[in-house]
Formats: sequence, C-alpha cells, structure tokens
Amino acid sequence: MPSSEHDRGGAALLEIRDLTVRYGGVVANDGVNLAIDRGEVVGLIGPNGAGKTSLVDAVTGFTAADGEVVLDGRRLDRLPPHRRRRAGLARTWQAGELFADLTVADNVAVAVQRRGWAGLVADVLGRSARTAPDPSLEMLGLLDDADRRPDELSLGRQRLVGVARALAGGSSVVLLDEPAAGLDTDESEAFGDVVRTMATSGRGVLLIDHDMNLVLNVCDRVYVLDFGRVIACGTPTEIRADAAVVAAYLGEEPVA
Amino acid sequence: MDQLVLFVTLGFAVGAVYAVIASSLVAVHAATGVLNFAQGSIALWGVWVAAELGATGTLILPIGSVQIADGPAPTTVAVAIGVASSALVALLTHLLVMRPLRSAPALSQVVASVGVMLLIVSLVPLRFDTTGAVAAPILPSGTIEVLGAQVAVADLIVLGLALTVAVLLAAYFRFTRWGTATRASAEDETALRLTGWSPDRLAALVWFTTGAATGLVAVVGSPSIGLDPISYTFYVLPGLAAALIARLRSVLVAAAAGLAIGVFQSLLMMMSTYDFWPVWAQAGFGETVPFLIVMVALFVFGRSIPERGGVQTLRMPPVRPPRTRPVYALVVVAATVAAILLTEGSWRFGVVTSIIMMLIALSLVVLTGYLGQISLAAMAFAGTGGFVLSRVTTEYGVPFPLSLVLPALAATVLGVIVGIPALRIRGAHLAVVTLAGALAIQTFVFGNPAFTPYEGNLIEDPTLFGLDLGVRSGTVLTTTSFALMVLVVVGTLTWATARLMRGRTGRSFLAIRSNERAAASVGIDVAGTKLLGFAFSAFLAGIGGCLIGYSRGQLSVESFTVFVGLTLLCTVYVAGITSLAGAVVAGLLAPLGVLATFLEGTLGVGHLYSLIAAIALVVTAVLNPVGITGSVRQASEHLIHRRTTRAQL
Ligand SMILES: Nc1ncnc2c1ncn2[C@@H]1O[C@H](COP(=O)(O)OP(=O)(O)OP(=O)(O)O)[C@@H](O)[C@H]1O
Ligand SMILES: [Mg+2]
Repeated sequence: MPSSEHDRGGAALLEIRDLTVRYGGVVANDGVNLAIDRGEVVGLIGPNGAGKTSLVDAVTGFTAADGEVVLDGRRLDRLPPHRRRRAGLARTWQAGELFADLTVADNVAVAVQRRGWAGLVADVLGRSARTAPDPSLEMLGLLDDADRRPDELSLGRQRLVGVARALAGGSSVVLLDEPAAGLDTDESEAFGDVVRTMATSGRGVLLIDHDMNLVLNVCDRVYVLDFGRVIACGTPTEIRADAAVVAAYLGEEPVA
Repeated sequence: MDQLVLFVTLGFAVGAVYAVIASSLVAVHAATGVLNFAQGSIALWGVWVAAELGATGTLILPIGSVQIADGPAPTTVAVAIGVASSALVALLTHLLVMRPLRSAPALSQVVASVGVMLLIVSLVPLRFDTTGAVAAPILPSGTIEVLGAQVAVADLIVLGLALTVAVLLAAYFRFTRWGTATRASAEDETALRLTGWSPDRLAALVWFTTGAATGLVAVVGSPSIGLDPISYTFYVLPGLAAALIARLRSVLVAAAAGLAIGVFQSLLMMMSTYDFWPVWAQAGFGETVPFLIVMVALFVFGRSIPERGGVQTLRMPPVRPPRTRPVYALVVVAATVAAILLTEGSWRFGVVTSIIMMLIALSLVVLTGYLGQISLAAMAFAGTGGFVLSRVTTEYGVPFPLSLVLPALAATVLGVIVGIPALRIRGAHLAVVTLAGALAIQTFVFGNPAFTPYEGNLIEDPTLFGLDLGVRSGTVLTTTSFALMVLVVVGTLTWATARLMRGRTGRSFLAIRSNERAAASVGIDVAGTKLLGFAFSAFLAGIGGCLIGYSRGQLSVESFTVFVGLTLLCTVYVAGITSLAGAVVAGLLAPLGVLATFLEGTLGVGHLYSLIAAIALVVTAVLNPVGITGSVRQASEHLIHRRTTRAQL
C-alpha cells in the first residue's frame, strides 16, 4: 500500500481532514489528515502527549476542534457525540470509563438497545430487556465474566470490556485508545488476532498503543504523531525504516 | 427619581444579608468544597437569640436557657451573644456534620447540610415564642437625604458591614498565608498537610468566622428586615445564586451579586405598585428571580459533557436493579390491603398517606437514585399536580382517571423545565437549582392569590362508573374504596417503574449516573435521557400530588411546601435512595404517614416530627451513608457470603 494513501480523496471509510485541536495555548493536534479504509487496521503511535487521545476526542465529538470528519461520505463534525456513535463511529477510552453499576453484559447491552421513549414503552409493555449476550463478548472472550461487575475484573480485562462495548451495535469504525494496556505478552498477542478479526467484516480500526510489537505486527498502515503533527505515515516496514520516526519516537526502543 | 432611590436603598438590608451569605458560601466552599445549604439557618438562629435577649434578657440554648439580665439585655450584649451563637452553630455544623463527610459523595453532603438547615428551622418555633415578636432597634434610627430620598442610616450601616466582611474575607484569601493555604487545601489536602498546615483547623476557622459574619449582618439588619421563623433560612437561595454567579471563586463578586439581587427584588416590589404591573406578577415574583438567575448563570458556565479531567462522576450508593419477584410483590400488596381494612380513622389516613408518599419517594429513587440527578423539587411537582387537579375537576369537570393524568402531565412539563439546567449542571449545584425552582413554584404558583380562587382550591371527589371513590363518606374519615383506589394506582405505577428500572431505561439511567462521557460514547443521548428522567419522575410525583389532593378534598398548600420536599428527599435518602424498598420505607416514615400518625396519635409528640426527622437525618447521613435498606442489604449479603464460603469449606 502506498504511503500517500490518506490524500487520495473521498474513497476511504473514515476521513479526517485538517483537524486542529487547541487547549488554551496548547495545540494538541495541528492540521492532522488521516484516513481509514474498509477492513483496514490503522495504527497511531507517538510519544506521551503527542495528541493521540486528543485526536480521538475530537473525532468522536468530545473536544471542540476545527476540521472535517467524514464517515462513509457523511459529515459528522457538527454532530454531538452520541449521534456520531449512532452513525457508526465508536471509541474506547484510555482510562476505561466503564459503567461501574452495570454488569459486563449490561455495559455492552446498553450500547445497542432501543433508547428514549421507544425503550421506555418497550420496557413497560414489551419483552424483558435481557437478551442473548452481544457477539462481541464472545469475540473478546468475556462470556464467563458477563455477570460480573467491572471492578471485579483485572485492568486488562476491563479494557477488553471497553472494546466489546465499542464493537457492539454494528459500529463501522472503532477507535481504540490503548486497549492492550494491562495485558501480558500472550494476552496482547491474542488481542492482536482479535483486532484483525474485527476488521475482516469490513470494519475500519484505529489502534493506538505504546506496544510497538502489537502495532507494527497488526496494522496495515501506521501514522506517527509528534507534537500534534503527523510526521510519518506508511506500512510498518516503511515506519521502521523512517529516520524521522526513529529520531522522534522509536529512538532507543528495540523494534521487533 | 427619589422613589427609585428609596426602593434601591430599601433593598440594602436584605441585600446585605444575601451578600454576606454569598461571600460566606464562597469562603466555606474554598476551604472545604462544601456548599452549605444551612448558612441561612445559621443566621436565623443568631437573629432569634439576639431578639429574645433584647426583649427578655433570656439566652435560649437548643436545650435549656440562661437568664442573663432581669429585663431586656443591653443591645451590645444581645448582638454579641447572637453573633457568637451563629458562629458556634456554624462551627458545630462543620465539626460534627460536614467534616466527617469531607470525602463523601456530593449527595450525602447536600443531604447533611439540608438536614442541619431543617434541624434549625424546626427548632426555632419550638424554642422561641415566634408569635408577635419584634426585634428591638439596634442601630440609630435617623435618616439622611440622598438624591432627594430619605434613606435610613441603619440600612447604610448594615450594607457597609456586609461589604466590609466581603473585603476582609477576600483580603484573607488573597494576602495572608493562612488564606492561601486554605485555598490550597481545597485543591490538594495531602500536599497541604506536608507543608505543616492543618487543613482541619483552617477550615474550622473559616466556618467559625463566616458564621459570625453572617450572624452579625443578619442580627444588625433584623430590625429593618423583620423577625420571621423561616425567611432567613431561605435567604440562602439568593446567597447561593450570587455565589454561583461568582463561580464560587470570588468573594467580592459574590457579595456584589447578592446585594444586586436584594436591590433588584426591592425594585420589583416598586414596580408591582404601579398600575401597569399585572396582578399575577405581584406575588412570588421576587422569589423566582434567584431561580432564573441561577439557571441562566449555570447554564452559561456549565458544560454539556464534562471535559477530560473535569469532575464527572457523582459517587453514589451502589444499585442492584430490582428483581421482579411476584411473591414479594404479593406479600407487600396483601399486607397493605390488610393494613387498610384493619385500620380506621386517622390510622387509615396515615396508611393511605404513606402509600401516596411512597409514590413520590419513588419519583426520587428514579431521578436521584438511578439517574444521579439531585432534585429538591419533588414536592413542588406533586403540588403542581394537585393544583391542576383542583382546576380540572372544579372548572372543567374532567372525570376520574383522566383527572389524574392531565395534572400529572402538567407536572411533567414543569419537571422538564426544572430539568433543563441539569443538562449542564451536576451534583450540589443542581440541587441548588431545583431548590430554587421549588421555591419559585411554591411562592409564584401555590402562594399566588391571583391563581387561587376565593374559596380555596377545592377538589371534586372521584367517581368511576357511578362508584363513589371519595375519601369521606358521612363520618368515615377515609373510605375503603378510596384507600383501595390509591393502592391500585400506586401499585400499577410502581410495577411499571420497577419494569423500567430493570429494563433498558434503568440501564441507560445507571450508565449516565456512573459516567456521562462514556454514556455519550455508547450512543446514549445524555441530554434527552436526563429530561426523560425528570419528566417521568415529575409524572409520578404529579400523580402523587393528585392523590394527596383527593385525600384532602381540597389542595392544602402546606402539604407541598419546600420544607416537606426537603424532608422527603432526606427521608428517602435515609431509607435508601437506590431501591424500591427504600421508597417503601420512606413512605412509612414520610410526613403525615404511618410514623407521623404514631408520633401524633400514640405518643402525642406530633409537633416534634420535623425535629425528630431532621436529627435522624443528620445522624444517618453522617454515620450511615448507604441508608437503612442499603445497610440491611449489605448485612444480608455479608451473611449469605459467609454461609456460602462456609458451605464451600
Ligand atoms: N483537557 C485538556 N486541557 C488542556 N490540555 C490538554 C487537555 N487534554 C490534553 N491536553 C494536552 O494536550 C496534549 C496532548 O495530549 P493527549 O492526551 O492527546 O496525548 P496522548 O498522545 O494521548 O498522550 P498519552 O500517550 O500519554 O496518552 C498534551 O500536551 C496534554 O497536556
Ligand atoms: Mg492518550
């Protein structure tokens, strides 16, 4: 795949154009362009404070930003967060942010259920809301924990609940903010396979992680962010060879 | 022009009290992170102590009294002791109530400080002779001419005092090392401890000083404001409004805003004397002003979704969604039917009132327990229901089941309006808005002569298919048919609510309660769902209000005052705000319910009900933050756990 993938115009599933995020004087994202195609796993790496989470926040509507977010030809950048999610753009949170009062199954179910008045009427008159567990629970190996509460799980598994919650309900793009933090090496490898599976159904995946092995082994393309700017973009092989990346980020870290 | 000046200066005395309360609230918040709903009550106590000393020379204590002088005490002594009692009440509030709750959830802190507020308000009429008491003049009585108007010197002095207090407090926080350390402690207590300052002592100092300052301004202003067993308590609302305008940061802005509200209310009073001013706007308009101000200010400053790093979770007692066990439901219904059939007279009336109050309590379980929105306005919604019921039955002859639904829908609309601020405001701040809203509804709607017919808000008895469901029949105080009708209505709604709480709605409520950002990120419309919660909760309360109306035959405004609302929230909190069982227990304990009947009829101490409730509340809030049903559940879970572990061995 060519490294100039992101500027080929309207064909990608998710297009982020010229995204800029400012917190007071800090420019957390500076004119970022990024594209994710159907069935593609895209990596996003960069040192601490590079602006990765800010990018996810801006794309999903949790931070004010300038620029365009286009999902499947539809502009999302003026919509509130919940509407973006319903349009198919889902995310996980770096800090987990699960619903402490809900079981693991309900944490996921709440993302797919009927809402508002329709949900209210269905609750009173219709069938019980307890339905079969969402397929994403099985995909992430969480079926055994379905009736536990998040705080009964290890931190690593809590992250996976967050991922399951983002996958539920037919999301077409998922943005994963350090989902593998807290997993050991084996689990992390298994998780890499799950990420590939996510994309096989045509879903686009953005994977943010500090685990270089995971990112470079799993992703089709990788973007590198530093001080809020994209400093490189390409296949894992190209990224490993890129001098700017090595200088800015990989530096002393050994790369597999 | 001179009339304008006159009314502006007439607002000074009250404005000064608002100002000192507002600056005290900001200071206490800076030191401890607490919004003290009892600041007005602290003033109230000092005012009455000073007035009693000035009149009879008796120093009244919460328990017992001391004769200080034969006959009226000298003015300086009366003022000094009045101020000292305010300061002591504030200090005790801090030491005994708020400090133990330092790191408790916002809800516990709100409930506890509301508890102190209720405690003082219910103590004042018991300890002081509040009929016909007049505060003796304290300041010189002369007037001076300002821009053509005769202005009382006393009012100017009170104003000067309040501003001096604000300036001194501001200087304390800005320029002294203690002040800077106090501010730091609200941000990071451990860091402060490392520097050797004791945050506890600094906080105690702030509580004591602001208590004294509030007492001083209120006592000195009381001859011109007037003595009243309640009103000072509610001065906390304009005070809170002003403090929130200052974003709880600047003492000076808070004081200025407080003064401005006082002057503005006085100008409204002037306007209402003019012919062009509509009659309906003559009463209660001044009280709605703080509500509108808080609403607008908070809405402008608030954020619809909390930012990263912002406060965003309101820690609350845990929830276990209700399991619909038909057996339990049947047992409870059977027991209630038995209670209805086996009682008569005032006891049956108590049982029926408890059933109704349970429904209103349930509205709080839904809104506060599940959705996490602290609301002090439940009784105002109920009252709206009752109020509209009286209209639709007497003026339009709307027949029975519909006569419940229409008023409840009106309450729903009001619920949504009061709920709009909740889209951007959270925790204790929301409690302030809902309280202000409740007070506005109470004074502007229920207390407005323009909306109340000459003969009172009569309500026609319900009938269904020719069956008389009226509450009275001959000498029977509460008919069986009325009681059973109440049971059917409340039972049906409770069943529906239980299904909601178990279902999708309850799930998204709990999701919002535990994390609004995450809820939005899974596609939940946080704003819409919050409004849905307010709407549903107000609907339940509205039905409850209609049933109360039917049970009285006429709408008695006393059933729906802000105090009843506060007491109810606190009762529900004590009983357990996250469960159906909590609502049931709250119904039994609620004002005019079974417990109240017991206190009144059997023990003959009904007049102590609100005092007992307030004490129980404060004690429970401090000792037992999960409520009665919560601790019963914890205990039983503990037992089950022990049994299962033993079985495994
Ligand atoms: N709410 C905020 N207010 C002000 N500055 C912020 C805010 N959130 C993030 N920042 C700043 O924006 C910059 C980018 O932060 P961001 O969290 O996006 O980085 P990141 O790449 O996700 O880092 P990490 O790898 O540590 O998660 C940082 O300098 C951070 O301090
Ligand atoms: Mg990050």
